[in-house]
Amino acid sequence: MQTLDYLFGPYATMQPAAAAALAVALLCGILSPLVVLRRMAFVGQGISHAAFGGVGVAAVLGLFAAGAGTGALLGAWGVVAVFCIAAGLSIGMLSRRQGIPEDTAIGVLLVASMALGFLLLQMQRGRAGSTSVSVEGFLFGQVATIGPLEAWLAWVVLAVALAALWWIRRPLLFWAFDEPMAESLGIQGGRIRAALMVILAVTVVVTMQLAGVILATAMIVLPGAAALQVARRTSTVLLASLAFGVAGVVVGLVMSFETDWQPGPNIALAYVALFGLARIWNALRR
Amino acid sequence: MSPPLPDSVPAIRLKGVSFRWPGHPPAVEDVTLEVRQGESLAIIGPNGGGKSTLLRLILGELTPDSGSVEVLGMSPSEARRARRIGYLPQRSAADRTFPVTVRQTVEMAALVGEPPWRRPSAAIRTRVDLALARVNLEDLADRSVAELSGGQFQRTLLARALAVDPPILILDEPTSALDPGAQEQLGEVLARLQSLDGLTLVIVSHDIRAMAAPRSGSEAGRALCDRVACLRRTLHFHDAPEGITPQVLAHVFEHDLSQVFGDVRVLARPTHHRE
Repeated sequence: MQTLDYLFGPYATMQPAAAAALAVALLCGILSPLVVLRRMAFVGQGISHAAFGGVGVAAVLGLFAAGAGTGALLGAWGVVAVFCIAAGLSIGMLSRRQGIPEDTAIGVLLVASMALGFLLLQMQRGRAGSTSVSVEGFLFGQVATIGPLEAWLAWVVLAVALAALWWIRRPLLFWAFDEPMAESLGIQGGRIRAALMVILAVTVVVTMQLAGVILATAMIVLPGAAALQVARRTSTVLLASLAFGVAGVVVGLVMSFETDWQPGPNIALAYVALFGLARIWNALRR
Repeated sequence: MSPPLPDSVPAIRLKGVSFRWPGHPPAVEDVTLEVRQGESLAIIGPNGGGKSTLLRLILGELTPDSGSVEVLGMSPSEARRARRIGYLPQRSAADRTFPVTVRQTVEMAALVGEPPWRRPSAAIRTRVDLALARVNLEDLADRSVAELSGGQFQRTLLARALAVDPPILILDEPTSALDPGAQEQLGEVLARLQSLDGLTLVIVSHDIRAMAAPRSGSEAGRALCDRVACLRRTLHFHDAPEGITPQVLAHVFEHDLSQVFGDVRVLARPTHHRE
């Protein structure tokens, strides 16, 4: 079992990755039912692809360079976070204020950010003496680069997001269930939406280290989608989503450690399998 | 709760209200209307006759081009903020696949503005229980909304509108999507809200029969609505002593409806005053 060696052996290198993965799984598990119920899966996709633009900018600024210190790395994740938050807020603004359909706004931002990120990464690679950034790693996840800093970041984001979600839980539930009526009773829908976009954006930032830009959506959408197949109450849906979230990450990471293949696709496929099982269970129950 | 207003203040008062969507002929024109506290008024009229526009003016979602709208002496938006108006829209945006129970749905409205750290107070829980009882849903309080029939879900939304204890209730085509049994149940609930709880009701409907026909059952002989107003851009009929005649209906709907409604003695009974 390589998994045990990676986690507990004398050269245990994957502890930060596993710790980060647990935080990310809990974070996605909490957020996921809301993303599914509010039909925000594609918004999550848009935000996660916007992260790639941030990766490009950070790479050109030299923040991902080998040997760059903790400060540079924090700066790099900061740039990525800014891109994600800006993408989340622009999607909302374009569709609400400019009258552009939401999926079109996402399509535009997604493509723009991916193209920009890719060009910037190529530019950075062309420079003499610069260390290259693994494009594939950012697209599909890279556990090897998850150090203690990233693990801490993931837990801090989890704590802050949980606190924020608890704080807005009542207006959030009402708004998610029935936006026009919630707004007519004085709930600030715009603020709730913005808060949710920011939480989703920082979630994407910590998720993309593990699952990559392309597959981060799997972690944000599938736990909730599976939970909604098996549960009907708010509390049980949340618990099921957390359980699916953790289960998918554990299965995916173990498969990744055993095969030494990238974690993103392994985790994504684990989630798809869990969703399939939940769907079958729901169909048989009727 | 604010102190009760003197009964002389009308629940709703419109004076010479006109509204026109840009590039269209006026949707409503020179509408003057007064609804007393505790009264129930049906607004009927053909599709596109301005019924929904009129409701949105009363709800403060639209501002009249000319004329004035007052709700309990306030502007409509003030009244809305002060929770004086409960509203049941024709098509609710509420997501019926949402994993919430009937009670949670009603609580959502009752908890608006409560600080996040405070648990629901006894007063709020009582208000939620009362709202559920008023719509006959006590027994289904813990059922998830996905398992409800259309009529039960409609009554859940009605309970949610009642959860802030509004003196005025505005309903847009409340029965249009319901089967006859569910319509009957909702009618019972609404009649009781008006007669027992003294709510002011304004109901937009194209179902003249449901609004104006004498009811059977507990409120035998009484129509759901005290008065009926017909709206086709202008308010065609209101408070006429002879009631709504087939001629008035024909004028409003541009058809001779006496065949359809011949058996209904439609009625504006003289408005009764509450003691």
